[in-house]
Amino acid sequence: MKGVLLKDLYIAKSGIVIALVCLFVLAFGFSFLLDVSSVLMLAPAISTIAVYNSITSDASSKWNKNVITMPVSRDQIIGTKYILYILLSAAGIIVVLAALGILSLLGAAVTVYALLFNTSIGVSAALLAGGISLPCVYFFDPEKSQIVFLVSFIASSWIITALVLLINLFMPVKDNTLLAFYIVLAISFAWFVVSYKIASVLYRKRDIT
Amino acid sequence: MSENILEIKNLTKDYGDFVLDKVSFALPRGVIMGLIGENGAGKSTTINCILNETQKSGGQILIFGKDHILNEIEIKDKLGVVFDENHFPDIFTAEEVGQFMSGIYTGWDWTLYRQYLEKFELPRNKRIKDFSKGMKVKLAFAVALSHHAELLILDEATSGLDPIIRDDVLDMLIDFVQDESHSVLVSSHITSDLEKVADYITFIHKGKVIFTHEKDTLVDNYGILNCGAAVFDTLDKSDIVAYRKEDYQFKVLVKDRNKAAKQYANAIIGPATIEEIMLFYVKGEMQ
Repeated sequence: MKGVLLKDLYIAKSGIVIALVCLFVLAFGFSFLLDVSSVLMLAPAISTIAVYNSITSDASSKWNKNVITMPVSRDQIIGTKYILYILLSAAGIIVVLAALGILSLLGAAVTVYALLFNTSIGVSAALLAGGISLPCVYFFDPEKSQIVFLVSFIASSWIITALVLLINLFMPVKDNTLLAFYIVLAISFAWFVVSYKIASVLYRKRDIT
Repeated sequence: MSENILEIKNLTKDYGDFVLDKVSFALPRGVIMGLIGENGAGKSTTINCILNETQKSGGQILIFGKDHILNEIEIKDKLGVVFDENHFPDIFTAEEVGQFMSGIYTGWDWTLYRQYLEKFELPRNKRIKDFSKGMKVKLAFAVALSHHAELLILDEATSGLDPIIRDDVLDMLIDFVQDESHSVLVSSHITSDLEKVADYITFIHKGKVIFTHEKDTLVDNYGILNCGAAVFDTLDKSDIVAYRKEDYQFKVLVKDRNKAAKQYANAIIGPATIEEIMLFYVKGEMQ
């Protein structure tokens, strides 16, 4: 599995570097316009684009026909994409946090509340979108992965809104904003795990030709 | 150690419009087996089932004496596979391929891999997209042979290669089975290659195994009998495997050409190549 993940990282390498540099620059750009920590909301979305580079590369080289002959289970083949997605989300968050650290040293106002709030929204959106798009691009048309990725992020913002409204039925979100978004984050994580399980079950039954 | 490195028993795969029908054969250790048959006969389906790329509908596949699904990871760690085209992302160099392969195979041998790259004259730091077809196939062989595989499976791997590179590949296969715990299963259209290297031939036609024979038995025993209609009518039908009617004569495939030569003195009998045997089974008429 380590080797497959390494292969994915090699493929996505240039995309990852570009995304992370963009995020770093974006954080500085945002500092002149609005709450600088809001870049955290975008960080996972931008940093995970590189996963789809790896999926389209796999499709064009028919890598899956090759890797299936190697000592790697089908669950691991699917699992590496999910792990890569999580790693890139985390990398995006870390890069932006690093930029925010520098900005706060330069005098920008960065609060712990804003960091937690924006990170939970950003990660939730990424997990929901990944949970939708990863199985879709694997089982339908990898060539359209970028579109699926964008659509899934739009869908994830609707889902987050719906979840917040639902939570508001049980407790006032205005008074418990962070808690509400932690619940959304937990649901998003659960959805991401379920998505992996579904993708694995489907992939186990799939003929690779 | 199991005597047969690969055993296939009643393998069935039903696609609706095509059925791989109870395919059975065994590949002993230390031999090269050629899998022959026309396009769509079921050779690749058989290989896909062995590799669990395609899920079988029924039957049993044992590799190294173990079920190929229950022990999939352990088995595939000792399996080398080469296809007819490159399936490595072409942005990689041979060196990078080695780096991630070392994280996949527990038995990955860097020294051996670099020796193969050198032997095949493959540049270590040139991208695969700049490789010729022959170089790509050689890279696939280098990968397949660098983790101490015991069983090599080649699916039309030599198709499209020039005769020089094909000859290199055949030499490599012969070297590989010098270790008698190793075996090779080769699916190929190029029957002349198999005549050079194969110890056994398994012939699949319309999803069924027609025969598995030692190559020498096939080449030494099968023959083609040329005769006119009058002689043809006198032939013992049990001697005829298949026949083809041409303008003024019949060409008849017989299983025992020495026996036929004695029995039918008026007919001209010669040896049959593997390609001719295959053609008779596929295009000839059966009694």
